[in-house]
Amino acid sequence: MLWTLIKHEILTNLITFRFFIAVIACVSLVLSVTLVLTDNYERRLASYNEALQVHHEKNFSARTYSYFSPQLDRPPNPLSLFNQGLDKRAANSILLRRDKVPSLWDDNYRSAGFDNPFRHLLASIDIVSIFQILLSLLALVFAYDAIAGEREDGTLRLILANPVGRGLLVFAKYLGTMICLILPLLISFLLALLLQLQSPAINYSTADFLRIGGILLTTIVYVSTFYLIGLLISCISHRTATSLITSMFIWVVLVFIHPNVSLFMVNHFIETEEKIEQANREVAQIAERFQREKGKLRDPFEWPFLLKGQWWGSATRKDVTHIEVDSELEIPTVKAYYETLEPKRIDTADTAWQVRKQAYSETFVRKSITARNALRFSPTGLYYLTTAAFAGTDRTGIENFFKSTRRYQQTILNYFYDKKAFGSRQWFASDKGTVRWDDMPRFSYEPLSDLQDAGSRAFGELLQLFFLNLVLFIMTFVIFNRQEV
Amino acid sequence: MFWYIIQRELFEQLSSLRFVLATLLIVFLMVVNAIGHIEEYKTQQTEYRRQVSASSERLQGNSNNLYTLVVRGPGGLNKHPSKLAFCAHGSENHLPTSVLGWSAGWGRDSNIEDSIYKISGLWRLMYNVSPPITARNIFPTFLKIDWTLIISIVLSFAALVFAFDAISGELGHGTLRLTLSNSIARGTLLAGKFLSILISLGVAFLTGVLINLLLLHLSGTLQLDGQEWSRVGGIFVVGLTYLSIFIVLGLFVSSRVNRSTTSLVILLLLWVIWVILIPATLGTILSGLNQPPTIRDYSAKHSAQHKEITERYEARGLYNKAPTRLRPPTPATLLWAKYLNEERQASNRLTKEHLNAQINQIQIAREFNRISPTAIAQYAIESLAGTGFQRHLDFLKKAERYADVFNDFLITADRADPDSPHVPFVREGMSDKPVPFDSIPKFQDRVRLGNAFKGAMLDVMLLVLFFVVLFAMAHVSFQRKEI
Repeated sequence: MLWTLIKHEILTNLITFRFFIAVIACVSLVLSVTLVLTDNYERRLASYNEALQVHHEKNFSARTYSYFSPQLDRPPNPLSLFNQGLDKRAANSILLRRDKVPSLWDDNYRSAGFDNPFRHLLASIDIVSIFQILLSLLALVFAYDAIAGEREDGTLRLILANPVGRGLLVFAKYLGTMICLILPLLISFLLALLLQLQSPAINYSTADFLRIGGILLTTIVYVSTFYLIGLLISCISHRTATSLITSMFIWVVLVFIHPNVSLFMVNHFIETEEKIEQANREVAQIAERFQREKGKLRDPFEWPFLLKGQWWGSATRKDVTHIEVDSELEIPTVKAYYETLEPKRIDTADTAWQVRKQAYSETFVRKSITARNALRFSPTGLYYLTTAAFAGTDRTGIENFFKSTRRYQQTILNYFYDKKAFGSRQWFASDKGTVRWDDMPRFSYEPLSDLQDAGSRAFGELLQLFFLNLVLFIMTFVIFNRQEV
Repeated sequence: MFWYIIQRELFEQLSSLRFVLATLLIVFLMVVNAIGHIEEYKTQQTEYRRQVSASSERLQGNSNNLYTLVVRGPGGLNKHPSKLAFCAHGSENHLPTSVLGWSAGWGRDSNIEDSIYKISGLWRLMYNVSPPITARNIFPTFLKIDWTLIISIVLSFAALVFAFDAISGELGHGTLRLTLSNSIARGTLLAGKFLSILISLGVAFLTGVLINLLLLHLSGTLQLDGQEWSRVGGIFVVGLTYLSIFIVLGLFVSSRVNRSTTSLVILLLLWVIWVILIPATLGTILSGLNQPPTIRDYSAKHSAQHKEITERYEARGLYNKAPTRLRPPTPATLLWAKYLNEERQASNRLTKEHLNAQINQIQIAREFNRISPTAIAQYAIESLAGTGFQRHLDFLKKAERYADVFNDFLITADRADPDSPHVPFVREGMSDKPVPFDSIPKFQDRVRLGNAFKGAMLDVMLLVLFFVVLFAMAHVSFQRKEI
């Protein structure tokens, strides 16, 4: 019996005009967007590879230890094609310095590879945002007359005159229509995936495929949520027209109004400027303290010069290429100067980082957590959050890169301490031979790619979405059961 | 008769559930907009004032010597934030807020006749070349709550919901036959229906607008002069024109279809594609075909050009003799002046070319987005509100004009000094006296009413065209309909 009902639902839906439109709209939009995004990704990857090569050469061409200040690059994430999240908006090239600890929240880094300052004027849309808008609308359009329509036509009575339980009917309707809704989704999703795999730049690993599977699963649950909302409204309303109008207003509110209004509110009511300014003042004081301590030491490169010879450099980096013989005696003094100064510089950066970290966690981190919580109140927000976690373009995913740059900074410093580099001649001079970087550890960044990790971040939201489905289904069921036909 | 139809329709609309829902939604969003704007307006104004006074201080510091101004330029030229940003935010937070009139960034110590001659490039305009990093806002609001959003999404949506059953609904109930059995022309009926929907939604919109303006007024952030009020009026009219397009679209589809629910389903799909998806995808897709050269290419080209010019002048004996203060000017002084001027001109040309390529990419996207009336309305409203891309281009033009004015001033100020050899712009050829700070022309940025209306003109005409075509279609299709 159940199967007959489902078959009936599928057949009546498949031949409708709306199903035809759904397939056409979904496939054409997703494909055209995928085409553009793939091209964009290829461009970003090429730019990343070029930067990687140029920077690698430059990083290890430093002739003295103090000149070592590597430029680190963040690879673009291919899953940003699905949900771009922060991937394009966070810095992707960081100059590592001894006197500053890098962080996602700094705004003085470059975002290389995007060469138009007006780029933000072009809306950049991804596959998830198309599904978010289009599929939710389609789900409601398929649902509004599911019960109200049959009631209006009188067919509902007819069906229930047979030995069919009401619960069974609702369940059959749900399954049948969901199959029809999943069809355009699957077709466009698979075509998009196929198109992406055509590109030589995109090589998904098994873990990536599993994460893409996670995104697909979330999309299905999302569609189901909206279908159930529509079904519930259809169940309550007596006329299809009322059902349709109510569904549409609820759709506008859930998809457009709620996410935007809540983000707008969060942006306005969480104060950031003042706290950041205060932190900046504190950091400036710390830097000043360092400068005072530095002032107490005798800088060998300030007039009158301790060394006679030739050198290049700036305040933090020196490369002496030639020393006259009578200056050789002063070398131990210069060594001692750097041996006391550099650890102090590093400590200063550390102290400043503690202050900045605190300020960031009270402002930007707090803001992002509040915004996340606000977004959780609508299925659209939940869908966005879950897919971003699966794609690895959420805050944790991107911050991972900055964490590894910080780790690498620590590695470099440890390397310097181990080598006693600060007190060595090669810290500031290359006249007796340049530094060999053979045993300096290289920076390698492995994006968080394993499913378990992404899954654990997505889990909460996905569960919430499932729970919402369950509640909606039970509500529909109960109301429909107690209704007069 | 006509009035009677409108009256009847109006009464029906105003007492419906959808009117209440639409009004509530609009009013709610208008209140949110006002609350947000009050905060933002204050920070924007303080930031602007801080920047202007910083630039002015810097300029004053540089005015102790005319040549310092020649090398360092006027400093930051700041864009005046629009007071009407609550109508259209125009992605202003993603656009640069200033153009820099800054030192050239190159200088050289050359050994000429056994002494060091220090020279640095002349000041020039510099534009932001790479997009800002926006990671501090973790979640992008792809729509910001402003009048544009309310008009382009909520009003257009409400228009469809109001119009979808205007004809097919009455057809279904059989009331359409009844009405037309009276001596009423079909055209009159259509016009009556159109006007009644326009009026009822206009009332909802006006309520929201008035509440919004009232809140802003009470908070003291709304201090508009006559021309700004007329721009607000212009925005309201653009909103109504845009609204009319969607009403006639609704009437058109409603007269083609026999069931009202089918009509709404078609309209909704059209709406999603036309209002949401086309503006977000089409321009982006097509502008991808026209990528501007990368920053790396640009800077490589720039330094190659600099090298080429320097070498050319070196061959003509640039480094044989340093310029002097002698009068009449020596050939060396003239050569150095020519070199510096040519170098700046060539550099400016290249920078401008690069900027134009970047602008061009956006312009192409905007042209294609105009297939959707939503994009057209957005551009028109932004032009009128004095925000967004068109306004930014106006600002850039103004900054360029100001650069010429500033250079002319430097020449005039040099002429006024009798001790100078008058060879701009080499140090020895120019006056080295202080310049009275008050005589330096200052950069002043304002949105002009004429510019705003001129910028919106084309877009408004396009909107009217859309309306006329759709109205004609609705009319014809209603005339030929069998009832």
